[in-house]
Amino acid sequence: MITLKRRSSSAVSARSLAYASSPLLASKTPPWRSRFLVVMVALGFLGLLSRAAYVQIVGADFYLAQGERRFVHTYDVPASRGRIVDRNGLILATSVATSTVYLNLKLFRATPAQRRELVRLLDIPTRELDERLASKGLQEVVLKRQLSDGTWREIRTLGIKGLRAEPGYTRSYPEGEAAAHVVGFTDMRERGQEGVELAFEKDLEGRDGLRGIVRDGVGRTVDDYVEAINPEHGREIQLSIDTKVQFFAYQRVRDAVVEHKAKAGSAVVIDVVTGEVLALANYPSFHPSQRNKLTQEQLGDAARNRALTDTFEPGSVIKPFVAAWALETGRVLPHTMMTTASFSVGGRPIRDTHPRESMTVAEIIQRSSNIGAAKLAMQIPPAELWQLYSDVGFGQRPQIEFPVAGSGRLRHFKNWKPVDQSRLAFGYGLSTSLLQIARAYTVFARDGEVVPITMLRHEQPAAGVRVLSPQVAREVRKMLQMATETGGTATRAQALGYSVGGKTGTAHAQEGGEYAGNKHRAWFVGMAPMTNPRVVVAVMIDQPTQGGHFGGDVAAPVFSQVVQQTLRLLNVPPDIEVKRQIMAQAVDGTGGRR
Amino acid sequence: MTRLHAVLLLALVFSCLVLVQTSYDSRRLFDETTRARDELARLDAEAQRLEAERQAQATHLRVEKVARDKLAMRTVTPAVTHFVVDQAASGVAR
Repeated sequence: MITLKRRSSSAVSARSLAYASSPLLASKTPPWRSRFLVVMVALGFLGLLSRAAYVQIVGADFYLAQGERRFVHTYDVPASRGRIVDRNGLILATSVATSTVYLNLKLFRATPAQRRELVRLLDIPTRELDERLASKGLQEVVLKRQLSDGTWREIRTLGIKGLRAEPGYTRSYPEGEAAAHVVGFTDMRERGQEGVELAFEKDLEGRDGLRGIVRDGVGRTVDDYVEAINPEHGREIQLSIDTKVQFFAYQRVRDAVVEHKAKAGSAVVIDVVTGEVLALANYPSFHPSQRNKLTQEQLGDAARNRALTDTFEPGSVIKPFVAAWALETGRVLPHTMMTTASFSVGGRPIRDTHPRESMTVAEIIQRSSNIGAAKLAMQIPPAELWQLYSDVGFGQRPQIEFPVAGSGRLRHFKNWKPVDQSRLAFGYGLSTSLLQIARAYTVFARDGEVVPITMLRHEQPAAGVRVLSPQVAREVRKMLQMATETGGTATRAQALGYSVGGKTGTAHAQEGGEYAGNKHRAWFVGMAPMTNPRVVVAVMIDQPTQGGHFGGDVAAPVFSQVVQQTLRLLNVPPDIEVKRQIMAQAVDGTGGRR
Repeated sequence: MTRLHAVLLLALVFSCLVLVQTSYDSRRLFDETTRARDELARLDAEAQRLEAERQAQATHLRVEKVARDKLAMRTVTPAVTHFVVDQAASGVAR
């Protein structure tokens, strides 16, 4: 029976598969069906494997890119441009975060109340918004540039559709026009165009960083996609400029230009010990943040750093160098008497404004005698005079950290005629900038050494280059002091509390290659205090037309005010007695009087 | 053996739950850090702007004008200055 059963079951299995031992549950399934299913499942798996292989190998780049597009965001992290600060850390230029607001013409939706609020926040006339909205053929227009971040946040709360902002930076210049020529300005893309902004472009500019992040479905940042590259912010530049001194210099020059109805004016203040430029002021000036209100021509005139770029014949301020070399080489002594009657060189007469028959060398400087200076110059071989002028920096570009600085003109002595040499003694036939003259005068202030100048803060005393002996420099200093005392040409240069010395200069301005009879440049270059000079101040007023045109009348008062304030700000105690206008009484530590 | 498997299974499930929680916390904290960093950058920029604005409101030009026009002040001269010597700094002994 059992054998029969086995036989019969094996006979069934040949036709179908048995899924149960019970005959009641026996299902007679044809074998092709199960095989078909096996094949289908196998094909299904093969399809999945093929797809996986395609996704992972063949189309990997595409799918990775698609995934990244949806979850990975890469953006630049803007670096801010370095600040420019003065010697005390006060800001002269800094970058502030601003936004540029764009208006999408298709998406813009705003109620009349929202529009009114928008116009108020943007500080633009309603007409301007209407004009922007009426723009044809554009999808998006700029609504406002350089908008503060705070204002943009306020605008966002209005809920106006079709507005977006792009973040950026704008340069801010807190000191405005007073330091405009020193600091310069940048363009819309924050690249230096003028002044220190241009000179230190490489240091000031930053390098943007990069960040790649992964965002989840609800926009949260959940991971870094790549290692972030941090932005490199621009380096801070600390200048030698003192904003207080700069302000005083600017203010006094501006007032003098207005008072004398002059064309322009400049002033330079140099720290004699360190060679730092404490102030470099020009008028007319401009506000670097508001220069778009000026025409190109107006900006070109106002933005010119006259103290550095403009070179003129310096006039009588050159005379002390001639006297110094005559003393240095032993040709004369300070009290050597010289005849100063009018005389001619090469058929061209040389005259004095206040002629005298004779003067000492010291008086020649004190009274600014052209004749005396010319006679001194004629005693000096041309090569020596040329060498002296070159040694103090005339005819050479000043070594200063500034994009443009005039070198002036000093012809080689081989090209000089006697008349040229005589005129070089009183400042005609060569040209210098105000900065060159100021630097040259450090030779007298530093006992015979010319100091290298710098626009960067430099607290250590600078090593100078010796040109004159200390004895001669001190003797010339006495002559310069005489020029500011009674009988000199610059009594208005005197400063309250400080002994001063200097030299006036009044040169005819050139017009069309000829000297204009009624156009002058008034100079004064001096130093203080004379016992131990700390600063050299040079002032130039271009073409004064009212209240005199002599350096002693126009430029010397500016020197007086600037030098007095500068020394006070530098904590230099007065070296001459002043009539005190205050009563002071010493007190002890406990608050009681001693 | 079966008991050990059950314990290991429970440990595995617990480990998985902790992993999910940690991963969630990590993402949440990363998001918070990013927001804090962005806020720091924004406040830095704001501080810089305010500093520039403060200085622009207190330029020497403006201070001088207000002092002279509104407060009737005048520029200090040596005649109204009492100079004192810091004896400790200058090394002067009296």
